[in-house]
Amino acid sequence: MTSAEPILEVEGLVKHFPIRQGLLNREVGQVQAVAGISFEISPGETLGLVGESGCGKSTTGRVILRLLDATAGSIRFKGRDITDLSRREMRPIRSEMQIIFQDPYASLNPRMTVEEIVAEPLRIAGRSRSVIEERVGELLERVGLDPSRRHRYPREFSGGQRQRVGVARALALGPDVLILDEPVSALDVSIQAQVINLLTDLQAEFGLAFLFIAHDLAVVRHISDRVAVMYLGRIVEIASRDDIYLRATHPYTQGLLSAIPVADPSLRGTRTQVAVKGDVADPANPPSGCRFRTRCFKVQPECEDVDPPLVPFGAEGQMTACLFPEVMNVLAISGSERHGEAE
Amino acid sequence: MSDRRREPQRTEDPVLSVRDLVVEFATSDGVLRAVDGVSFDLYPGETLGVVGESGSGKTVSALSILGLLPRPAGSIAGGEIIFEGRDLTRLSKAEMRKIRGGQIGMVFQDPMTSLNPVLRVGFQIAETIKVHMPNLGADRVRMQGIDLLSSVRVSNPEQRYEEFPHQYSGGMRQRAMIAIATANQPKVLIADEPTTALDVTIQAQVLESLQNARAKTNASMIIITHDLGIIAEMADRVIVMYGGRIVETGDVRSIFASSSHPYTLGLLESLPRLEVDVDRLTPISGQPPSLVNLPSGCPFHPRCQLSAGREVCRTVRPDLIDSASGSMSACHFQEEMPEEPRRMAALRHSPDREAT
Repeated sequence: MTSAEPILEVEGLVKHFPIRQGLLNREVGQVQAVAGISFEISPGETLGLVGESGCGKSTTGRVILRLLDATAGSIRFKGRDITDLSRREMRPIRSEMQIIFQDPYASLNPRMTVEEIVAEPLRIAGRSRSVIEERVGELLERVGLDPSRRHRYPREFSGGQRQRVGVARALALGPDVLILDEPVSALDVSIQAQVINLLTDLQAEFGLAFLFIAHDLAVVRHISDRVAVMYLGRIVEIASRDDIYLRATHPYTQGLLSAIPVADPSLRGTRTQVAVKGDVADPANPPSGCRFRTRCFKVQPECEDVDPPLVPFGAEGQMTACLFPEVMNVLAISGSERHGEAE
Repeated sequence: MSDRRREPQRTEDPVLSVRDLVVEFATSDGVLRAVDGVSFDLYPGETLGVVGESGSGKTVSALSILGLLPRPAGSIAGGEIIFEGRDLTRLSKAEMRKIRGGQIGMVFQDPMTSLNPVLRVGFQIAETIKVHMPNLGADRVRMQGIDLLSSVRVSNPEQRYEEFPHQYSGGMRQRAMIAIATANQPKVLIADEPTTALDVTIQAQVLESLQNARAKTNASMIIITHDLGIIAEMADRVIVMYGGRIVETGDVRSIFASSSHPYTLGLLESLPRLEVDVDRLTPISGQPPSLVNLPSGCPFHPRCQLSAGREVCRTVRPDLIDSASGSMSACHFQEEMPEEPRRMAALRHSPDREAT
């Protein structure tokens, strides 16, 4: 997993969206959806990108694929800077880096048959008819769909099957990197597990690297090698999977882990509780200093002035953006220790 | 279904009794049965969790209790819902309106649809209070309303009382709904996916408010969710629904620790765990059933590992009967269920679980 060359490197990535108002549609402010984040992904590795709505995780995925242009920072794919490539220059890279979206219904053209949907990237890449014909059958079979249903439309498939169609399309050109944006969030539990297993099998088979964007920390724990936690456009903590789940150091990571209901009634009331109070701040007007301080249980006066950088702390490879980090195993049985009050 | 031998020391009468409820919807594909013969009791002060995937009938059951089935498509085709000695299925719209928001409070997934967007939140709280205490003076109503908002931890309750729903965040709106639902000391509180649209940190706040409000009013609560984590943390007893029917019901600990129905076990095994690392998930094969074309016999049989194609599963609908673990299960072969699921064994031996 620790191959020398990362396949994807993101450095100082920033994405602002203008806020426009009034008759003249004048720009009156900016939302800093992504406010300077850096990470790398190695070939075959899964980086989980987690955070709550509005933290910038989906925007990050779209900017990396150049579906949105970066405001600042750089994106390197296989060592090549792709931040400013033209559409034409991006085209060959799109075959190597693909995205899968949450809602398989909205992302599949309802007027195209499943065969046409999966064949489209192959057609655009100029593959011959016979190659396409064969490849589509192969892909459908590989993702667990009956190739004899290739002439059906997306509406004739269930949610889980539609997501498999999306996976087949993403795999058509043999990519090295998949960006998965909440790929199983819309699915029922019993179906979610089918799709997750399919994804991990495909990853092992084709050596794919995943950027797995999700809000469900249980799914992310299952699938990731490393995890980055985002809050208001920033990465607040990044570490190996076990360090994030068992030795989190940032109060937001700890709060997230503590907030998730655990599906085991015998553990009720046994976990450490780390409160995250109030609501997330306005991304157009983030708090001074540490962006998380308005919700933090251990906030200190310094937090208002100092914007904490992401620096090494804790285990090897672990980085945290907090002035007062402490290692805590939130999931351990603790006799319901309590940090902070929810308000 | 009337066999209650194994229900531990239930000396009290239930607050709410649902008996053989059948709900049908008229669709272009014909009449479909969204709920088919559901019976359960809700006892004083308890929290009953109803869990199931989409199309299982969990929300339709709740809407039936509240008299809120979308008409004319949906209708109660059979059974009764007994509350305070009356059958709710026979009440007029006006009578049901009095019960909703009074003795039966409700919290839905999307508060934007249940709060009126053009009225101040305070006005909506006051309206609810006044229905049941018409003689209370305006100042007292306002004071009570502000108290209610602060009891669900809405900050600056005096200012918030004067605001409109769109000025609230999602979590705050949901807490305002909880305040309204519990304003009149309801006997029953029905929460249908109350936190599904919310982020986890906000979900934790809202669930805490819900639990506090329930405890304060001593209402019995029905919480409906697809999230097994919420069930595990909130419920005393659990109903598992599949294809419009109850497939298993029992005490929350026995449901999770020793499921007596292969569907319940399948759900638990397909769930990625936050608290323990699982090598590979064990999904349930196949797709959830379509209500238009529900499988014969046991609705779960086409996906069931335990059935393995046995004929009785295809032909005979199993009754909900007592199981060895103390729950009730609708499975022909429930005695063949493993005593302790692999999952629990894995959990016990996980080094992560050692106390720090």
